[in-house]
Amino acid sequence: MSAKAHIAEHRRFWLGLSSVFILILSWELALTYIFPVNPFFFTKPSLIATAFREQMFSAKLWHDLAVSSQAFLWGFSLAVVVGIPVGLVMGWRRRVEYSLDPFLTAPYASPLVALAPLFIIVFGVGVTGKAALVFLLSVFPFVFNTFAGVKSTDALLINVIRSFGGGEADLYLKVILPSTIPYIIAGARLAIGRGLVGIIVGEFYAASEGIGFAISQAGDTYRLPEMFVGIIILSLIAVALTELMRKLELTVAPWRAGEEVR
Amino acid sequence: MIPKKLFAEHESFILGTGFIVLLLCAWESIPLWYTLPKGMALFFTTPSKIVASFYELLLNGTIEKHFYVSAVAFLAGLGLSIVVGLPLGLLMGRSRTLEDLLDPYITAANATPRIVFLPLLILWFGIGIWSKILIVFAGAVFPLLINTYVGVKNVNRVLVNVVRSFGANEWQLMKIVVLPNSVPYIIAGLRLAIGRAILGVVVGEFFGSSQGLGYMIASAATNYKVDVVFVGVAIFMALSVILTLAVKQLESRLASWRPETAKTF
Repeated sequence: MSAKAHIAEHRRFWLGLSSVFILILSWELALTYIFPVNPFFFTKPSLIATAFREQMFSAKLWHDLAVSSQAFLWGFSLAVVVGIPVGLVMGWRRRVEYSLDPFLTAPYASPLVALAPLFIIVFGVGVTGKAALVFLLSVFPFVFNTFAGVKSTDALLINVIRSFGGGEADLYLKVILPSTIPYIIAGARLAIGRGLVGIIVGEFYAASEGIGFAISQAGDTYRLPEMFVGIIILSLIAVALTELMRKLELTVAPWRAGEEVR
Repeated sequence: MIPKKLFAEHESFILGTGFIVLLLCAWESIPLWYTLPKGMALFFTTPSKIVASFYELLLNGTIEKHFYVSAVAFLAGLGLSIVVGLPLGLLMGRSRTLEDLLDPYITAANATPRIVFLPLLILWFGIGIWSKILIVFAGAVFPLLINTYVGVKNVNRVLVNVVRSFGANEWQLMKIVVLPNSVPYIIAGLRLAIGRAILGVVVGEFFGSSQGLGYMIASAATNYKVDVVFVGVAIFMALSVILTLAVKQLESRLASWRPETAKTF
């Protein structure tokens, strides 16, 4: 394949890459030659790169990431464990749906991050408060997506299982759960975003370690390169997790490829 | 007892409200059957105390003052994101080159919680209205942009070709086919954007403000005034629900021909 054909085929990739490259280059050049950089208010890619290299070899960054991930994983796992069963029951039992729907819809629609100060004050600045916040924010996408998945289960398949004498357990394990899994993964993608908000706000509010704390502390002390390193690392993690979920969604349910739920 | 027929007709309403009322009663009655230890009692409040402090704050004008500040930041940020997001989304949907050029930034920014930019914005714009407006903007612009762009991309090729065959230029094409087709997507984007904008207001006021409902919550929490925290949270909750329902109404009116998609906020 000639180089030209290759570029035409991967147009999207090359255009994207060149646009990022041009942005970084012009940012660097503009701040080196046109505007003298005031290091307290702005920074340039070369300084960020230096800070990035330093941070990579420092134990602090890894420690911060470990602290934040620990809280995130606790909250997120709890959301999975609680959210999926609640969603399943809500989807399958009409009266449970009627009882829980208004009660759960209101908090799903509202910015529950508003409770962050209270959580931090009640549970302290450690893992517990942040994990509780992550749980609170990420449990709703699991509940509602599982619920939507159960609701969209093919009635024909349910009748087939029933006709062949399958019990309640067969119904859940052979029909409802498999047809709900793509929805759950889509919910997980939303939940990751919300959970990250929880971690960051919790750590901005009050913390002594963690990636959100590192970013806000770097900002407070005018260390802009370090702050950008924190932001970039966090975006890389967020993009990686989100894309992973998207891939997983396509692998598990290729037929849902076009239906975007953001 | 409730007559059976009445119950069957309004089952969803009765069960829904009943459950909430039941929970509120249970919450209210906790202090009656269980004496909380001193440390816990500091963080505890009951629905009646929350209502009482809501009434008090409403009477002395505190809520009105903070609400006004928050509303300005919300409206300005959301307005800015509509002004920027819609045209850019339309352009991106019509131009493959622009789409490919901007895609990496939009993917990255959409996956990252934009709240991380708050310390940077506070550093640049100080504690005040501008850092709040910009964090609201950063949150709300991407759902609008992406939904507009998806709407434009999903336009029916046949319609585009028909209008083109009859000699329409790009502007007329936009007006006759592309824009009407994207309206339901844009409204759905608006619904998501409202949620993100409120989130931006809350968090922006936690850190970068000395006024507004978010500030009221944060300072009340610091002073252990738990009922005031819940007043603030309840106001935000009510506003989100009202705005979301309003946009949903608009959505179902404008897109009654479109099949229902999954519930997302």
